[in-house]
Amino acid sequence: MQVKAAFDLASDGSLCDGVLLFDGQTLTASIGEKLIFTSPLTGGELNIRTYSGCSMLEIVPENPSDDMSDCLPVCRFSMTRVSEIGEFTKVINHYLKTGEETEISTKGFRVCPKCGRHYAKGLDVCLFCVEKSYLAKRLFGIAKPYSKQFLFASFLVLCSTGFGVMLPIINSRIVDYGLSAEAISRGTAVHDIVLYAVLLGATQIFGQFFRMLSQRRANKISTSLSNELTAGDLMKRISRDTETVKGFITEQGMYALEKLVMFIVVFVILMRISPILTFFVILPIPFVVYAMRKFWTFIHIRFEKQWRRASRADSILHDIVRGIRVVKSFGSEDREIEKFASVSRQLADISVSNEHLWAVTFPFMFFFTGIGEFFVLYIGGRGVLNGTMTAGQLLEFSLFLGYLYQPLTWVAFLPRKLGELTTSLIKIFEITDEVSDVEDSENPIPAQLGGDIVFKDVQFGYKAYEPVLRDINLTVKQGEMIGLVGHSGAGKSTLINLIMRLYDTDTGTITVNGNDIRDMAQGEYREKIGVVFQETFLFSGTVYDNIAYARKNAEPGEVIAAAKAANAHDFIMKLPDGYNTFVGENGLNLSGGERQRISIARAVLRNPEILILDEATSALDPETESSIQDALAKLVKGRTTFAIAHRLATLRNADRLVVIEKGRIAETGSHRELLMRNGIYANLVMAQRQTAKLTK
Amino acid sequence: MSGEFNSQTISPETLATEYVHPDNCSFATAENGFLTATINGTFYKRVILSRSLPLFFPDDYICITDADRNEIGIIKHISEFPEEQQKAINNELSQRYYCPVVDEIISVKDKMGNFYFDVKIGEFKKSFTVKDISRSIRQIGNSVYLTDIDGNRFKIEDYEKIPPKSRRKIEPYLY
Repeated sequence: MQVKAAFDLASDGSLCDGVLLFDGQTLTASIGEKLIFTSPLTGGELNIRTYSGCSMLEIVPENPSDDMSDCLPVCRFSMTRVSEIGEFTKVINHYLKTGEETEISTKGFRVCPKCGRHYAKGLDVCLFCVEKSYLAKRLFGIAKPYSKQFLFASFLVLCSTGFGVMLPIINSRIVDYGLSAEAISRGTAVHDIVLYAVLLGATQIFGQFFRMLSQRRANKISTSLSNELTAGDLMKRISRDTETVKGFITEQGMYALEKLVMFIVVFVILMRISPILTFFVILPIPFVVYAMRKFWTFIHIRFEKQWRRASRADSILHDIVRGIRVVKSFGSEDREIEKFASVSRQLADISVSNEHLWAVTFPFMFFFTGIGEFFVLYIGGRGVLNGTMTAGQLLEFSLFLGYLYQPLTWVAFLPRKLGELTTSLIKIFEITDEVSDVEDSENPIPAQLGGDIVFKDVQFGYKAYEPVLRDINLTVKQGEMIGLVGHSGAGKSTLINLIMRLYDTDTGTITVNGNDIRDMAQGEYREKIGVVFQETFLFSGTVYDNIAYARKNAEPGEVIAAAKAANAHDFIMKLPDGYNTFVGENGLNLSGGERQRISIARAVLRNPEILILDEATSALDPETESSIQDALAKLVKGRTTFAIAHRLATLRNADRLVVIEKGRIAETGSHRELLMRNGIYANLVMAQRQTAKLTK
Repeated sequence: MSGEFNSQTISPETLATEYVHPDNCSFATAENGFLTATINGTFYKRVILSRSLPLFFPDDYICITDADRNEIGIIKHISEFPEEQQKAINNELSQRYYCPVVDEIISVKDKMGNFYFDVKIGEFKKSFTVKDISRSIRQIGNSVYLTDIDGNRFKIEDYEKIPPKSRRKIEPYLY
């Protein structure tokens, strides 16, 4: 057995490269060659204490004193190392308890081999080192099924660009032929002008038509793509980011092709008309693009600051409006107005300053961008006078110049748009790439939950370095009702989460009917569990829909029977449309007790083999609670039940109470047995009795 | 922010907090490095100190708890205690609060919504990543507090006093 981990803080708080090593017998910590800690470690456990910006590893002896003063501090480390040392701790503690050797899992702290930075949560790459093409490749990968539509949209864009490019050519023909002295003397000038005008009109109409079509097509593709990026319920959470991606594809994606094609076509045409003029036009462009990019880098920081101030002003206003009752009841309107006015002033200051800067500098940028036009006018004008160039050609050249500058201006602004796109894409990928905490086994066994539930040496923490549950060993007989009791934060709800398999245990097993719950398919397993929560959520829909949510193919008779068992039928029949009454958001408001009875009816209809009551009656007044207790008693009968309740009287029907304290099972037994023991449970009961006396 | 509560409109009894003071409380460091305390005659072999207002009053309103975080008392001002005890108190606090002071900002790179900082802390170069800068960068007076994606804290004591190059790099994120 040899386990290693790195720590990075010396005892004086300076940064260091330290190594923790456990060889199965001894734990050592060293910095370079210097050994700073060594102690035999054959019993007890390692514990991490998380502080502010750092953590400490300590050895807890087998039977620690109440004040934990006999622990041994090992070393300190920054939060960068906490996940790694958490895994190190987990492996050693498991070894000390069971003698089994396991390996350190790097799932929670993957580090980039190149730069040593942590990978972003949910992603398999280091965003600092990843190539710029990474996101493009992924986006193209997702867009692959839409390649045909993309090609068609691109064709439409090309048509639209083609018609656009024809405009200067037709204009030059009007000047050279329609308005030429020869045409006027021939008397065909009007005919030629009308002909070219019709051509011009047709070109513009077709150009506009294709532009509209391509825009519509791009819209369609980007919508399908953004749906692809956001699966189901994540849609709301990242809708802003998908909107950004969608906007980019619709706006910039189509422009990119258009601008690129336009630049190449126009460049070729200009070269054909006059290579010398083209040279003078192209000459300032690299300098202008460079200057624009530099300018943008400078100004975008100022604008970002402005946006952040705007967002802070928004959030303050949002807070004030949401908390208007609190603001009014404390009479602090003036204070809140001043707070908002102050951030608004800051926002106004930076906005004015930015607009001023923009207004002063941008005309210069445009002037330098278009400086080539002066060369064109001078050299081209001389060409027309010398007869080496026609007036139409000069006009055509000047008009094409506009087309050449358009893509350049667009390119200068592209980095900002790309920045927004990449940020949004990363946020989306962080969510879509996130690996589930609970994975199905390759060959799941059927979920048969009719049997004893056994917890064996269960340890679990939401973070590797902060175990919430430790040493949980418990056997629950089929049909037994277990009341989970303990202070807030003791680990009761975490235990429920493990039973529902919302998380897998870090170490140890939970078996039902002799089978590890990790070997069963999650969906099938959870189908056989019923839960009644403290907060009952009613979906927008009818009472019937809300009860039948538990079993979609339930017969109306079954739904009514379930409602009757839950003591809900009577109040439902008093509603204006009975079971067809609309409830939920924008629907009829039901009282807490009524909602809870619908929730119980749901659980009854589901007919679960394991039932979980998570503070099911805590939010109700005692009178309503007692009427619901009757419904719950019917539901619980014959089912393996886990019930959490702060009001201990609620658990009087439980076969056994399990007291959880600081993540461990502290006491188990019946209400009477635990009172006789005079321990934690007895104290809790006494405390509640005294509170009840005080409130009477 | 004023250090004293405004007691003009509320009864003094309601908001009276009992503080420990050198007459009824003393501190020392045990051999294993833990802070011990004797409060009102009771000896505690291990106490943990937490700052109530770590950003505004790091040396005042220090909460004393046992290892299970049950409160034993509150120190109003560390400075009230003898020098030797102040040393022990500050040593315990320095173990619990790690917020190294950034002396120089070498670079800040924005890559796909993550801000990569390369800074100098004393002689050490340190790289860290900040996300969601509106929450992770806080300015209090001239001090700037940064929290990275792992939960590490960093502090710029006075951003007006760091080298101008460094100031220009952090300035865009202060608003």
